[in-house]
Amino acid sequence: MTKLKINNRIYDLALKGHETLLEVLRDILGLTGTKTACDEAECGACTVLINGKAILSCITLAMDVENDDITTIEGISSGDDLHPIQQAFLDKGAVQCGFCAPGFILSTKALLDENPRPDLDEIKKSLDGHLCRCGGYLKIFDAIEDAAKKLRNE
Amino acid sequence: MPLKNYEMNKNNKKEFLDPVGKSVPRIDGRGLVTGQTKYVFDLKLSGMLVGKMLRSPHPHAKIISIDTKKAEKLPGVKAIITAKDTHGVKFGSNEFFFPQTADQQALEGDKVRYIGDELGAVAAVDEETADKALKLIDVKYEILPAVFDAVEAMKPGAPLIHEARNNIALILPTNFGNVERALKESDYVREDTFYLPSAAHTCMEPHVCVGQFEEFSDKVTLHVSTQAPFKIRETLAKCLKMDLNNVRVIKLAVGGGFGGKLEMLPMDFAACLLSKKAGGFPVKICYSRKEEFCFSRRKHPMIYKLKSGVKKDGTLMAISGEVIADGGGYCSYGPTVLAAAMMRIFMVYKITNFRVAGYRVYTNNPISGAIRGFGGVQSGFAIESHMDLLAQGIGMDPVEFRLKNITGPNMTVTNKMVITSNGLRECIEKATEACDWKNKHGKQKKIKRGLGIGIAADVMGSKMYKSHESAGSILKIEEDGSIHFLTGAADTGQGSNTALSQIAAQELGVSYGRIKITSADTAITPFDTGSFASRVTFISGNATKLAAADAKRQILEIIATEKNIPIESLDIKAEEIVNTSDNSVLMNFDQAVELCYSFNYGSQIIGRGSYNPKTTPVDFRTGEGNVSASYGFEAQIAKVEVNTDTGEVKVLKMWDAHDIGKAINPQSVKGQIEGSLFMGIGYTLWENLKFEEGRVVNANFANYRLPRSVSTCPVESILIETNDPQGPFGAKGMGEAALLPTAAAIANAVYDAVGVRIKELPITPEKILTALKNKNNKE
Repeated sequence: MTKLKINNRIYDLALKGHETLLEVLRDILGLTGTKTACDEAECGACTVLINGKAILSCITLAMDVENDDITTIEGISSGDDLHPIQQAFLDKGAVQCGFCAPGFILSTKALLDENPRPDLDEIKKSLDGHLCRCGGYLKIFDAIEDAAKKLRNE
Repeated sequence: MPLKNYEMNKNNKKEFLDPVGKSVPRIDGRGLVTGQTKYVFDLKLSGMLVGKMLRSPHPHAKIISIDTKKAEKLPGVKAIITAKDTHGVKFGSNEFFFPQTADQQALEGDKVRYIGDELGAVAAVDEETADKALKLIDVKYEILPAVFDAVEAMKPGAPLIHEARNNIALILPTNFGNVERALKESDYVREDTFYLPSAAHTCMEPHVCVGQFEEFSDKVTLHVSTQAPFKIRETLAKCLKMDLNNVRVIKLAVGGGFGGKLEMLPMDFAACLLSKKAGGFPVKICYSRKEEFCFSRRKHPMIYKLKSGVKKDGTLMAISGEVIADGGGYCSYGPTVLAAAMMRIFMVYKITNFRVAGYRVYTNNPISGAIRGFGGVQSGFAIESHMDLLAQGIGMDPVEFRLKNITGPNMTVTNKMVITSNGLRECIEKATEACDWKNKHGKQKKIKRGLGIGIAADVMGSKMYKSHESAGSILKIEEDGSIHFLTGAADTGQGSNTALSQIAAQELGVSYGRIKITSADTAITPFDTGSFASRVTFISGNATKLAAADAKRQILEIIATEKNIPIESLDIKAEEIVNTSDNSVLMNFDQAVELCYSFNYGSQIIGRGSYNPKTTPVDFRTGEGNVSASYGFEAQIAKVEVNTDTGEVKVLKMWDAHDIGKAINPQSVKGQIEGSLFMGIGYTLWENLKFEEGRVVNANFANYRLPRSVSTCPVESILIETNDPQGPFGAKGMGEAALLPTAAAIANAVYDAVGVRIKELPITPEKILTALKNKNNKE
């Protein structure tokens, strides 16, 4: 059995070994908030956090992250309260179709946890691996700046 | 403190009163940022099988035989279908007005016409088994000569792709005024040829569907990622030979559409038929990213050959020439695309002498279809580059040239389009003011910077699809005063569910927080033509406004009886029932609804509205037709910097001044402008779906470059509100327009910066360097 710690819950899973983390999340556990738009590490939609770092779940073997802290989009809000990053994405109109949003939100969390005061260039670089076709990114930058402020209690 | 999304309920009255014109939170926002929202991509039904399409590896071949025996014996295979399982019905997306364009079968049985053409499908217990089964199907082909170039395909003797005299599927020959005379009377005449490549929609959610056949009721249900559930229902019913009420199409959240999810694909048909053959188990078919690039739909590659004349004073005298569009193997939305590629110019420029012949040509390339802007993006680049060249030829400022020739409000133009509100002049003036055109244009050559302008117009719907393009809305006022809003309009991410709910709340006089929405399910929600041609805010918005007015009338009739006050003196304002004769408040909205449902009246409040603009399709014999009830306008300016060592073009800033009638939700409007504009920048600088012998050679995100976060630039959106007389609260649609002039604005800015003119997209560093070299050699 493989023990995966996802959103602070332990799952005991009988894995064959070749399953990607993305497959485990979506197909086995039904955590479909994690998306994929390419399945070959080019779009960023499958991003999750492993020990706080943003990684692509489509090219990560589930067995390789046994005992790590895995956080998906389902795990970052607490109760009824949205995470400030989620709230900022809504307030700033950063979400259109929403398919890429979970990936962007988790990468933003990894960025702001490490760098609470990123400048625009740092924001842009940190999101380079993510594709959004609807919105053109600018409102996502606004949302991240807004979330950063709120997280710094400014 | 902004409101949290989940606080949107009927108790939050004040915050969401009079919502039109306010950037209220998206009605579906919370689900989107928490990952809870379900897309068809996420859908899992009990007993669900995996479906896969059997595709032709050849661009052009006769099908001699298909042997499925081996595949059928493979354990885990539940159903296999080929053309012999179908009714052999031909369909096309514009077949109502253009019956000859119904040229595709759900599964081809005699011939394949492009690499990927569908000739069968398999349903199995898992993906691996389905893939194995496909390999076991033995198809014998007789290879036919193929043609991949539209110009070659038009020539006599080219391999014939369909049974016809030649490969020209559609001709739109226009001839207005007297072009010969006008060119003779011109002071300056020039000819230019522009080349436009193909491009991909690249929706983040791929094409995906789940079909399920119910044996006991003989009904079929298709969950599908679509922009037009009712359009899919129509084609599906036709191909399956079923009544419309036996075909249920359900849309969930949609991960982008951009014109690519506007029609039934063979996969939708196959999922339903496979389910029937497999005994009713649901069948899911989901495209991989590679399939998405290779086998969905793509932008029409086009060639524009233009010859036009102007007077010294800048009067645009005549435009002539031809447009050739590579349509690929089937017609799809060809008629609409060709019409949009040619007729948009009449919305923008006052031109009386116009003779352009348009050809949509069959080739053995993948199928060209609708993509944001239809043909408007291609024409935007060609026409707006050409206009700059004409202005340059007479030494006139490009902005002054445009101001002299543009259309204005309340005019019927040469091809009988009726323009009502028109803020184009103000768009140009505001955009040029914002970028300081007077002091900056032509004056930054030393630092290799330049400004360029492009202008465009857009429709609010298009009467190309069938005899009507109506939309319907239903507003159910529940017993507790909460509201359930049913619409067939398909929100694909643009935020139409939010905008339509704002319109409903505004018209009814209640809080936006009262509304919950269902969109769209053909068995539940009223008919809607679909989300395309920037039509939803305008057409579905009008239907919704009528439904809300109907619900309001029903409530006020009961209050009029109860209080013995003439209904003309009653209104609902800010959640209160008001006697307008003395401005007294009679009761609040909840009390009014309670009264309606009470013993004495027992009346359910169900408001209904349907709206169908009075428009006409483009007549392909003349080019005449008022396809839209209103037109939207915009001016866009690009500021670029060109690196003459590397050839790289950097867009530093874009300005977009946009006549949107009235912004129902300003934040959403700006989001649409930015998203559309960046799609335009992508097509201008990088995007190019490439083919070799009919095969896509860059079918992934590594080799098909999309705009990314690091390649963005600031965008200044200027909203011009002209209050359209027919729009709901004066609003127009605007989803497509912002990418129409982008390529030309950038190309014109490149010319301003370094004096080279690129007439073929994308504007790559190689093309810039070659052009600079040629320019230096000449000098």
